[in-house]
Amino acid sequence: MIRFWNKRLKTGTLTEAPEIDTELAALRKSLKDEVKKKFAGSLAIRMVDSGSCNACEAECNALSNPYYDLERLGIYFVASPRHADVMLLSGLMTFNMTPHVLDAYAQMPEPKWVITLGDCPAMLSPFEKNFAVNAPAQNHLPIAHHIPGCPPSPDEIIRGLLAFLKKI
Amino acid sequence: MRLIARYAVELEEVYEIVTVWDEQTDRVRVSKSDPHIETLSHTHPAAIWFERKMHDDFGIVIDGAFDNRPLVHQERFPRGLHPMQKHFTQTAIEPVEYLPYKYETIGGDGVFEVAVGPIHAGIIEPGHFQFSQAGEEMLHQEVRHFYKYRAVEKMLEGKTLADAKAVIERISGNESVAYQIAWRDIALQAAKTELPDANRKYHAMLLELERIIHHLTDLGFIPNDAGFGAALAFCSKLAEEARRQMQRLSGHRFGFGAIGFEETKTDTTQMKLYLDDLEKEMRFFEEWITDIPSLWDRFDTTGMLAHHKALKYDTVGVVARASGMALDRRDNDFYRAHGFVLHTEKSGDVAARFKQRLAEVKNAIVMMRALLMEQTDPVTLNEVHDGDYTAYAESSLGELFMNIIVKDGIIERFFVRDPSFMNWQALHLMMPGNIIADFPLINKSCDLSYAGNDL
Ligand code: SF4
Repeated sequence: MIRFWNKRLKTGTLTEAPEIDTELAALRKSLKDEVKKKFAGSLAIRMVDSGSCNACEAECNALSNPYYDLERLGIYFVASPRHADVMLLSGLMTFNMTPHVLDAYAQMPEPKWVITLGDCPAMLSPFEKNFAVNAPAQNHLPIAHHIPGCPPSPDEIIRGLLAFLKKI
Repeated sequence: MRLIARYAVELEEVYEIVTVWDEQTDRVRVSKSDPHIETLSHTHPAAIWFERKMHDDFGIVIDGAFDNRPLVHQERFPRGLHPMQKHFTQTAIEPVEYLPYKYETIGGDGVFEVAVGPIHAGIIEPGHFQFSQAGEEMLHQEVRHFYKYRAVEKMLEGKTLADAKAVIERISGNESVAYQIAWRDIALQAAKTELPDANRKYHAMLLELERIIHHLTDLGFIPNDAGFGAALAFCSKLAEEARRQMQRLSGHRFGFGAIGFEETKTDTTQMKLYLDDLEKEMRFFEEWITDIPSLWDRFDTTGMLAHHKALKYDTVGVVARASGMALDRRDNDFYRAHGFVLHTEKSGDVAARFKQRLAEVKNAIVMMRALLMEQTDPVTLNEVHDGDYTAYAESSLGELFMNIIVKDGIIERFFVRDPSFMNWQALHLMMPGNIIADFPLINKSCDLSYAGNDL
């Protein structure tokens, strides 16, 4: 364990440091301010995959790695839709997932918002519409904001969340 | 013999049932008007998903099967519809009346069921797990999937090989490079074109980098599921750095579009420095993590898959190798010449799968060094010839099988078998004797793809 603490002290803080990237720092500051103003300091997100290729989920997981550390900004991924302000929806809204996505949405308390993540739910990824695909998601749910990309990088997701917070 | 895949192809008058084994390929023809085949599931249990899928896709009846429930089609899917049949061209379907799915359960005094999914409490793909419990202990678990079914096989019919690529590389995001390599081999066969050695090496290096990213992610998440978050912080840092290398090399964090026939240039000095650094970090990680007894207390003997069961269920990849099966598509001259060493573990538990991943990361670093190429030249493909083409790749999860039939220059039938499709069917074998709180840990130690499984 002592080895670990030595390493820990040597590594220091990785989270992309403000002095390196002032633009990113400003972005994060305004994100934190918006979360504070509009969501009393904590924005709860329920991530729902409606038929993705799993890269969009991987990028959301990457948001918690030491380089991005999203929770620091007051943004949390929660386990239950009943604890969520926002549903972050990835994937193609498959025929098999559609009822479950609608269920999860119904479980969310008002006020609630849906943000689509990546090109899939907007039907803009290379997949084609067929009988198994119900995307675009806007035909089934009110979409407050869209974060484009295939997949959007963690940075793009952070920017996207900020744009959403500015909008509402 | 090891079962690799089993699927149907629709011809003019008949269905051809193709069964791919490691040593041979069997082809049987059945009439379209009343298609019946005998199940293989009594000797090869993992045949059952292939067969249930075949029924959903084409309406082929499986005789003698112990399980005739729909697999891909769920409660509200229109009954009697078999979308892989050529004459099915609908682009939308309406949900029909809900017909409950009968889960496999175990009855008895005090035995109860726990249903989990399809939406899980985390950032994970959707799927359903049904547990039969005696208190905390799991008696049985059924894995139910295909929530993400996008009908990729159907979607690709009628496209050229070149046009299909953008979809193929997005079938399972964390195995994208492996899928692209399988596609590449088929494109090369169809065009009767040889790939220069330098390009082959460059592609193989990207595949190893993909493996490193994937294994590092798991090496963090597995301890995290046993309550040891520090490992996740450490490994997710390394995984992020590896992903940035992928971005640097291929212009994409997941390597979408990475495998092609254009020329490439690599900054080998930078890459070597990165690999040295990673090697050092891995050495530290291994020493550190091996020295935490409370963690290994959770890993050892948890989620055991005995060798004979791994064989019987025709498992592949990390899961198979951790149970002592010497099975890897990279076990050939090309890879051995670049430092590949086939590693296996014996105990078949979470600990074995964890150690297997550690060993594979270390080996991948050695291989990447040997595979580094400063430059690759563009390759011009000849024209595409019709035919029936097969390719394999060893993705970070295991053996990937792909078959494409090209007719009149376009795809007549696309079939792919993700490694997860085999391993999901063996997951329930790891549960009995473990408590339900260990399920996430066991599941994560296998880290299977839902998207690649569901297609
Ligand atoms: S948007 Fe792209 S990366 Fe995201 S799930 Fe769809 S195909 Fe995958």
